[in-house]
Amino acid sequence: MSKVLFTRRLAIAAAASIFTAAVAAQEIKLGFNGDLSASPSAQSGAAGVLGIQAAIEDINAAGGINGRKLTLVIRDDQSQPPKSIQNMSELIDNEKVVAVFGPTNSGNAMAWKHIPNQKKVVSMGMIGGGTDITKSTGGDNYMFRVSMVDREQVAGLMAYAKKAGYKKVGLMAETTGFGAGGLKDMQEIAKLQGLDVSTVERFAVADTDMTSQLNKMKAAGVDAVAVWAQGTPTGQLMRSMEKINYFPAVLSSWAADNVTFFDAAGKALSEKPIFMRTMVEASNPKQKELFERTKGKLAATSAFPFTVHGYDAVMLIAAAIRQAGGTDGEKMRAALEDLREPVVGAMKTYNKPFSKADHEALSAADFAFVKWSAGSLSRISDPVSKSLTAADFKR
Amino acid sequence: MEIALLQALLSGAAVGSAYALVALGFSVTFTTTKTLNFSHGEFVSAGAFMGMSVLFLALGNPISSTSFGEAIPDMASQLMALLAAMVVMGLLGWVLYLVGVRPFARKPGMSWVMSTLGFGVILQSIGLAIWGPKPVVVPGPLGDEVVRLWGIGIRPQELLMLGVSIVVMVLFDHVMRKTMVGKAMRAVANNPAVASLMGINVTVMMVGAFVVSSALAGLSGFLLAPIAQASLFMGLSVGLKGFSAAMVGGLNNARGCVIGGFVLGILESLVNLWSAQWREVAIFALVILVLAFRPTGLFGTKMVEKV
Repeated sequence: MSKVLFTRRLAIAAAASIFTAAVAAQEIKLGFNGDLSASPSAQSGAAGVLGIQAAIEDINAAGGINGRKLTLVIRDDQSQPPKSIQNMSELIDNEKVVAVFGPTNSGNAMAWKHIPNQKKVVSMGMIGGGTDITKSTGGDNYMFRVSMVDREQVAGLMAYAKKAGYKKVGLMAETTGFGAGGLKDMQEIAKLQGLDVSTVERFAVADTDMTSQLNKMKAAGVDAVAVWAQGTPTGQLMRSMEKINYFPAVLSSWAADNVTFFDAAGKALSEKPIFMRTMVEASNPKQKELFERTKGKLAATSAFPFTVHGYDAVMLIAAAIRQAGGTDGEKMRAALEDLREPVVGAMKTYNKPFSKADHEALSAADFAFVKWSAGSLSRISDPVSKSLTAADFKR
Repeated sequence: MEIALLQALLSGAAVGSAYALVALGFSVTFTTTKTLNFSHGEFVSAGAFMGMSVLFLALGNPISSTSFGEAIPDMASQLMALLAAMVVMGLLGWVLYLVGVRPFARKPGMSWVMSTLGFGVILQSIGLAIWGPKPVVVPGPLGDEVVRLWGIGIRPQELLMLGVSIVVMVLFDHVMRKTMVGKAMRAVANNPAVASLMGINVTVMMVGAFVVSSALAGLSGFLLAPIAQASLFMGLSVGLKGFSAAMVGGLNNARGCVIGGFVLGILESLVNLWSAQWREVAIFALVILVLAFRPTGLFGTKMVEKV
């Protein structure tokens, strides 16, 4: 090869690599850290990622943010807290993402929430609903969320119970962290509503018979049972009710939207409990369009709400980056806590969704009351749910 | 409140029958080989999945399907599934004996504990790789309409399990006490050297004990699946409670083991009536109490070591 040709090729190669590096430096990296394979919640994680990717496509197609394109780095934590913590450090320290989405399981967020707070990188949750995830631990709080919130669910259910006029609400919970947390929320909020929740019973996750606990509730005159447990034991609870022919009204956690509940309770009994979801079916044009784009890749259409939350999570982060004028973590956090422009998302348009004290984009007023009907989830519209207003939700 | 009590008794007996069958499984191996199969719980789960897979195949679905949907397998398929569960588990029991117990039995030290535990972990991992962690709802042979007796309700599968465990208990009791085979098994447990001198084929007896115990585990899993859903983790709690029941009733007494199982189940139900959160505490406190006063269980025979 002649010297000239060689030098020219070297120059082109150098220019190409500098250009690629420059483009890469121009890209804004976002991270996802959640379960995509291990637990039953994995389908929610996968659905969420679809939503995030759809939003990134839309933003990039419109030119990116200030000319910079968004990319997504995905890490599967397999529902395990140690792996989730490792992923978090890797995403922030090695991949240098400017924001992290996830996790799928609330327990994992509780395990790593100190990392985004320490490293000053925003975390926008879009699936896990554990109340304490977005609670501040003193100092600046980098944990935000646009998804279901457990305490908000309880607020909604207790408001329903109050409006429906139940005289005695029996509380049941499974003896796990999830159940204990839910029970605490239920007791506190029921007190605010002035409901009689003196009867409290517990059961283990693997129990198949709760007739004794239910008989006690029956003897105490309980006319509505609020239960906080995972899908399978909630289903077994319904079976036990059938055994003793005792059918009080049932208010449940959103674990009842899982197919494990439907399987355990059977078609007929699954229709009894009322619970809340962030949304039921695609209702506005944006949601319908998103549904058409992603439905081929969704493992189950019931996981679509998480696709919507993933989409909106990206929109909120993009708005924060625009307002902050860059990807500096502290500026992004400050921007999120005081978003000046409304953010158009798939679920709704967000007007100042966050504040210094409140890092939840969605609350009880956004949620829908649902139940199973003929094998699929449907919105409830009975007189009680229709008459509830935002003022009724005490928390 | 009498209705509640009656309900607790019947429900407790149904739950207890599962413990009883598992306890019996422990007793069979202990009586003959003086070792225990600590992976009995995993055998129960594997048995449930074996039965479930046969039911899926009978309906033309792949074995890793996650749901039966509306399809109900017929009685012939259910019987085939039961047979498969018992036979395959029995064979696995033989493998366990060859690989995990015979090399270590009667040697000083308790390596058979580790090897049976390890076998269980291997079994569970293989199961997870084939079927995954999600529990599967399995239709029972008698359907799911609640049966009402004297004002209390019970699921037909629970009644079935109750009935089967009583029949199995009577059968085993008869075999162990009244037949030559039973005597041979007890002789082997007592002193294998002398037993073989008396013309008893010790190896066949020991293999037989493991095969029978594992087949029993397969039966337990098959019966339990429609109630608790087939899951690779279902054997854990039932295995532990079953073992406790065996200790309470007396490991070397088949009747005692089964009674121990029923007592444990009914006690659980009664404690639920009082205060469910203390249930595990109450159960295991009882186990410890019984063992403190009668170390070989309520019905176990005293072990006399002749010096």
